[in-house]
Amino acid sequence: MTWPPMLMKIHVKNETHDFGFWLPIFLVLPVALVVLIILLPLIIVGMIIFWDSWGVWALKVLWAAIVSYWSLHGLEVDVQNGNKYVYVSVV
Amino acid sequence: MSESQKKILEMLAENKISVDDAHRLLSALGAEEGAHTGNKNTGQDAAGNLVNKVLSSRKYLRVTVTPPEGGTDDKGNPFHDGNVGRVNVRIPMSLVRAGIKLTSLIPADALDKANSALREKGIKFDVRNIKQEDIEELIDALGDMQIDVEGGKGEKVKVFVE
Repeated sequence: MTWPPMLMKIHVKNETHDFGFWLPIFLVLPVALVVLIILLPLIIVGMIIFWDSWGVWALKVLWAAIVSYWSLHGLEVDVQNGNKYVYVSVV
Repeated sequence: MSESQKKILEMLAENKISVDDAHRLLSALGAEEGAHTGNKNTGQDAAGNLVNKVLSSRKYLRVTVTPPEGGTDDKGNPFHDGNVGRVNVRIPMSLVRAGIKLTSLIPADALDKANSALREKGIKFDVRNIKQEDIEELIDALGDMQIDVEGGKGEKVKVFVE
């Protein structure tokens, strides 16, 4: 089973700044879910009305967004150029 | 699993041999074993299953750029920890898969523009002809890809799947 991303670690460093933090994205997921549930009736009505134009496309985009979010687990970006440094890790 | 099969799979996992080579070797090995048992399909089936098993275990697309050993930056300062240009990116294959599938969301107008841009470059290819099966094949083929480039200053660029 593939787990959804739980935490995101971000570390940015340059000549003047050096900061890093953990972003608890597992807390964002319930909030996004609640917002989605609240907006769901509007989304469904909108999709039914505009099914022939952008309804199907909107459904595909929604699904693609969920799949992409789920696939972020394991992403790691570590780039350094001289004293500038960016690190992003999704676990 | 025999020792020979393990050895072939290890070589495939370490990218010492390609998927096709591994499949050929495993098929030959399986055919040899099948000849003893009287089963002709053993080689092909077993080879396919084993290669798929190794490919499915490859989970990340890695892109690394490492500076040359003993090299210097643009100002002539020698590279040391904290003063070096390097890239290390690990992208989950599932994200690559999701990203490639997003191409199905590209509007028809944009595809037409992409086609005309390709034609201008002399490439006669219709991107609308790309099917879901082609995408799956492309993603599978990525597992066999390894790019290893050394730049003029000695920096090494590697793109591979692990």
